[in-house]
Amino acid sequence: MIDTEQSIIIEAPIEQVWIFAKDINAWAKLMPGFQHCDIADADHSRWTLKIGVGALIRTVKVAVHVGRWAGPEDADFTFALEGDPVQGRGSYRAVALGPAQTRISLAVQVEGTGPMAPMWEAMGRPLLPKFARGFAEQFKGEVEQLGGGATDAPP
Amino acid sequence: MLENQPEKWDMEVDLVSIGSGAGGLAAAIAAQDHGLSAIVIERSSELGGVTAYSMGEVWIPGNHLASGLGLEDSPESGRLYVQSLSMGYGEDRAMLNQAIHGPVALKYFEDRIGLKLQVIRNFPDYYYPHNNNSVAEGRYLEPVPFAAETLGAFQHKTRLTPHLPAGFTHEDIFHGGGLANILAWNYELLAERITKDLRCLGPGLAAYFVKGALDRGVQLFTDTSADELICDGTRVVGVRATREGKALFIKAKRGVVIAVSGYERNKDLAKTLSNLLDPVSMVFGTVDGAHFRLAGPLGARIARVPDPANLGIHMPGEEHDNGTPLWRGSLPFLGLPHTIVVNRAGKRFANEAFYRSVYYAVDHIDGATQTHPNFPCWMVFDHQARTKYPCGGAMPGQDLPEGFAVISGSLKELAARIGVDPDGLEQTVGVFNDYAEAGVDPDFQRGTFPWGAAMTGDIKHKPNPNLGTLREGPFYAIALQRMGGGGINGAGLVADHHCRVMGWDDRPIEGLYVAGNSMVRFDTGAMMQSGLSNARGMTHGYLAGRHAAGCPSDLLDTALAGQGTVA
Repeated sequence: MIDTEQSIIIEAPIEQVWIFAKDINAWAKLMPGFQHCDIADADHSRWTLKIGVGALIRTVKVAVHVGRWAGPEDADFTFALEGDPVQGRGSYRAVALGPAQTRISLAVQVEGTGPMAPMWEAMGRPLLPKFARGFAEQFKGEVEQLGGGATDAPP
Repeated sequence: MLENQPEKWDMEVDLVSIGSGAGGLAAAIAAQDHGLSAIVIERSSELGGVTAYSMGEVWIPGNHLASGLGLEDSPESGRLYVQSLSMGYGEDRAMLNQAIHGPVALKYFEDRIGLKLQVIRNFPDYYYPHNNNSVAEGRYLEPVPFAAETLGAFQHKTRLTPHLPAGFTHEDIFHGGGLANILAWNYELLAERITKDLRCLGPGLAAYFVKGALDRGVQLFTDTSADELICDGTRVVGVRATREGKALFIKAKRGVVIAVSGYERNKDLAKTLSNLLDPVSMVFGTVDGAHFRLAGPLGARIARVPDPANLGIHMPGEEHDNGTPLWRGSLPFLGLPHTIVVNRAGKRFANEAFYRSVYYAVDHIDGATQTHPNFPCWMVFDHQARTKYPCGGAMPGQDLPEGFAVISGSLKELAARIGVDPDGLEQTVGVFNDYAEAGVDPDFQRGTFPWGAAMTGDIKHKPNPNLGTLREGPFYAIALQRMGGGGINGAGLVADHHCRVMGWDDRPIEGLYVAGNSMVRFDTGAMMQSGLSNARGMTHGYLAGRHAAGCPSDLLDTALAGQGTVA
């Protein structure tokens, strides 16, 4: 299993960050390699991503299930690649550092199964932190661009 | 001869290599070691060329590594092997030149750049045991895993391959049961190699040469395209290139080496030079015939040896890292048990377990009807194959992506859906199943080439590693597409034994050299042997670099003098 946790401070109130976080359509496009996302219902979605594996780029479909929405602080999710023996889970945690400042932490665990699992995990180990970091920074940028940093919250 | 010198040169070196596969890098290394200054310019963003896309095999008869293991062989035996299979399309001197210099170049690069190759044990020549001069093992070499971290800034600018994990050697693959038994490979070992970036196969071979160039200060320019050769009216004296959007005039006081692989990504050249109609390709986009565009204006002679269409498959969702669709060679899959290849009539037409047999048959033209009777063609297999073996990038048992294969519960329905004669297919499978159970294929002798068993069969399958019934539905069909040879194409520039490009007047074009797949294969004629292209590339580079430095090899002259012949 490989995992990563990335934290980042967003200049926006926790409620405003949550509005963005619970709208999958809003942030799905921030995923590296994102192609499109089919929303089945509030908890289930199917993502199509292009993922680099060495010199090979593969289009993969990922079934995502949000198992717990506990906004504005928490959300937990699981995911599984369709057709590939790779699955995982993750969490979103948000803490208000002030009226207009929020720290979010994104944790992701990925687990390969079957005989090729060591290969998948070795390939993913250096990529996952970069992937998660890149996503967190994009997330921050989008929320702040939407006006999070310009709230009327008192200093 | 052109006279097109610029008013001002931007750079000045002794030797410019165009292309960064084994040929271009070897030439620059040999030149630098013989006192010249050299630069390698590469059009793409990564070094390594088609060498890095190869299996990393280096086929050198009479090499000292095999000798060290007590394996009996000689360069002369290898020459006779090549000559006897060349069907008269080769040239005796070129074959002798490669036979003599292959082992020499190998030793040279071992000594000078730390190239480490090892014998691939129990890996026979293509035509073993059918050719008297074939051997059961010893001629095939492959790189010992290379630590890519030692490439420094070029670690991530040296090409990997999308076709196979670069962390396995042939030895590892065969130890795990061969290509067919992919799930039995040692993925713990692979994970360790990935983590340490230890590269094997083609990426490993290319990396050794990149390291050799770096260690001796050869300049390496990526994203730099050669646009025109510069001449002074008597010889080639430089290159006009484009780098960062600007023209770059590089003076080459002693010569220019063209080593840009083949031309299959240019469909017009593929059609007109190889009669290859609308081909796909397993290599990247820069393999598009730059050697002809560069040397053509100087009157360089080109020639061609037979080069059949390969056959490729594309799994939806797989791309090169530049975003273009990835086509894979079908070779590893065609000869698997429970798998056949059929034409429109539903008939087999070749030994699917030996690609030379299949590919030449695909190109066959029936003059009576002016048709290709064996194209289009399809790979047909059953549930047993899908359960046990990989298919393209799909692992055994994994669902195939939509659009990859036609799937049906019956052979007749499958045939109807792909436009094949249903009765013909059913009859073919019935006969084939009898052959498979007996372990003998009287029609096409499938399973009689040990090389084919190792590379396209299941070495654990009994009684014949290339024969297994198609009895269990669902049945699958995948259309096979004509494909280029992975940079190994039939036409190329004609050169002498020092790799000097020849003009149509049969005289060398002074200052212009060619190496690797850019040179016509007069040293093979109609035959092919995997690993020979990498061997040619490094040998040509060695010869060209030495000649440009004024230290040409005299080994061919010596050998011919012994025969009373002049080179």
